[in-house]
Amino acid sequence: MDKKAWIKYLMLTLTVVLGIIATNTKFAAASEEPHYVITTDTTYPPFELQDKNGKYVGIDIDILKAIAKREHFTFKLVPMSFNSGAQAVLSGQIDGIMAGMAITPARKLVYDFGTPYYKTGVITAVAKNSSIKSLNDLRGKTVALKTGTGAAAYALTIQKKYGFKVTYFNDSNTMYNDVALGNTVATFEDEPVMKYAIQNGVKLKVLTKPANSGYYGFGVKKGHNQALIEKFNAGFAAIKKDGTYDKIVAKYIGAEESTFAGSAKVNNSIWGLLNQNKSQFLAGIGQTLMLTILGIILATIFGMVIGLLAIVPNKISHGFASTVIYIFRGLPLLVLAFFIYIGIPSLTGHKLSALFSGLLTLTLNEGAYIAAFVAGGLKSVDNGQMEAARSLGLSYWKAMRKVVLPQGVKLMVPSFINQFIITLKDTSILSAIGIIELTQTGTVIISRNSQGFRIWFLVAMMYLIVITLLTFLAKWADKRFGNN
Amino acid sequence: MGIKVKVTDLHKAYGDNEVLKGINLEVQENEVVVMIGPSGSGKSTFLRTLNKLENPTTGSIAIDGIDLTAKETNLNKVRENIGMVFQHFNLFPHLTVLENVTLAPVELGKISKEEAKTLGMQLLAQVGLADKADAKPTQLSGGQKQRVAIARALAMKPSIMLFDEPTSALDPEMVGEVLKVMRDLAQEGMTMIVVTHEMGFAKQVADRVVFFADGYIREEGTPEEVFGNPQDPRAKDFLNKVLNV
Repeated sequence: MDKKAWIKYLMLTLTVVLGIIATNTKFAAASEEPHYVITTDTTYPPFELQDKNGKYVGIDIDILKAIAKREHFTFKLVPMSFNSGAQAVLSGQIDGIMAGMAITPARKLVYDFGTPYYKTGVITAVAKNSSIKSLNDLRGKTVALKTGTGAAAYALTIQKKYGFKVTYFNDSNTMYNDVALGNTVATFEDEPVMKYAIQNGVKLKVLTKPANSGYYGFGVKKGHNQALIEKFNAGFAAIKKDGTYDKIVAKYIGAEESTFAGSAKVNNSIWGLLNQNKSQFLAGIGQTLMLTILGIILATIFGMVIGLLAIVPNKISHGFASTVIYIFRGLPLLVLAFFIYIGIPSLTGHKLSALFSGLLTLTLNEGAYIAAFVAGGLKSVDNGQMEAARSLGLSYWKAMRKVVLPQGVKLMVPSFINQFIITLKDTSILSAIGIIELTQTGTVIISRNSQGFRIWFLVAMMYLIVITLLTFLAKWADKRFGNN
Repeated sequence: MGIKVKVTDLHKAYGDNEVLKGINLEVQENEVVVMIGPSGSGKSTFLRTLNKLENPTTGSIAIDGIDLTAKETNLNKVRENIGMVFQHFNLFPHLTVLENVTLAPVELGKISKEEAKTLGMQLLAQVGLADKADAKPTQLSGGQKQRVAIARALAMKPSIMLFDEPTSALDPEMVGEVLKVMRDLAQEGMTMIVVTHEMGFAKQVADRVVFFADGYIREEGTPEEVFGNPQDPRAKDFLNKVLNV
């Protein structure tokens, strides 16, 4: 590749990246009304769920929409796992959280809550055919809890008394299935959520009466976004008064499964599910592909630079490159993603978009792997090549670019194709910071229709198809451009 | 006529292992110096210090009066003037034969691509390989590869050529074609420093033969002097072994 082509690729990449970052901030500028970013859980029916058209609905969402309309503000909804969302509010990434969040004394220390909008209690549920009759039967057994929820906190307060062990999940549906399948014997969940799930086909039954009654509240970081809280309270009072609130609750509590989740006929056929969720799956695949392709381009640039620094005969650059590779190859992708998305903004106070954080995570992590095999590939080019080039008067970098790199890159092609596939798979981990790529798409569809086997089967097939196509493409490109 | 190469008290050590123990050598313009000696005697290391592929530990090297050991010396510029031919050819396998020859002059902006092509074809004709211009190095025999390597070095129009055992990796029947090219070069007046085990070449072509052993120059003189009447016992022993096989 000549110099001009390199620069063109680089410019193209930068343009696309800047475009993504820019569009994330554009919403605010587009409107005169105040604009907020509000997070919600991805799976918490009837409070938040995706309907069969892929749109977020639920008690929380409908209340927010009604209030926003009355109080003249706009908001962007960012669904992510409850725990990540709660942390993102505290780090200032996100303005508010409307996710069936129980108001607890501990949370009041760090959040300001609006008027409590829903009364709830914690109930215990067990598998339909379970022999467990009371909490006393839980001794020595393991129960499933959802990370960061009020129900989980309640369970821990009675853990000693009843002597059970706990394990944690990040989304409700996986947790319910774990109990239904018998891996764990019981779960603690907020009453309306559990009832809705059972009504919609989750094979559990309620064991206890609601305990530890409390309220759900809309939360912001303590001392921040007070205007938003005021608007919420004013709007909430209004919709409570004119009956809108009751209508919303009635619409979801006691709703038939098919209202939101699709008919049984559709749910029992893979083709039906595929057809019904077509647009959601396509959007998920699009997001996954975008992350993969941009991620691998940025990671390649980063990896090439670090890989080169690792082999130049200079102790400082060598030490720097080795450290970078050591750190970013050693960190689990998920930890790195959380550190960038939630950790850094907590420190600096500057928001980073989930997409930007996700791409940065991929760049650093995949880039470190690429750097390692770039360095290895370049080292395996016979030293005589560099000597011959230098003896002709070429500078180190010219010799590197014209003689060593072209040969080294050829050796690296199989590793690149491999890394490409790994990157594609790794994008699924970014669902944890709220990017709705293919895996997260699967999770949210299942939270609506409880079709675990069929949806995960479809998602798995989609990954395989995409990976197969990309591998073919990479091999074709290698043959076409790799001047073998 | 002038002094092309002047080496003074050159030492080279790898850790505790000293391989060059004080070398002094002057090479005149147009002179052909052949360096012989047993393996491990330091002759190849010495040759590689002459274009700084190896950094000497102490001592000085001057090429055309330019001190290679001085910090401010632009090594890339000096190397343009010193062609080098390696034992294992070190052709660039991803380039064609012609591209191997034209890479350096074009990249260093010496001549245009068109001129380089003309020059490259001329040089390939000179080493008898004009018909292989578009071949890849892997398609060539060892002898052909080494002739391309010589053409590649000549493309920078150097005034000195260094040869590091240029025929040692060749099948016997290919040695002759490479030595012929070298002989032609010598006849054209190229200043050449050659490390080789080809005693026949040394006898016929060398103006001066230098015998290395144990990191020292033990003996030097005309081929007649060194081959006919060696003084140093190590040289006597070595020549006795290689000449009477």
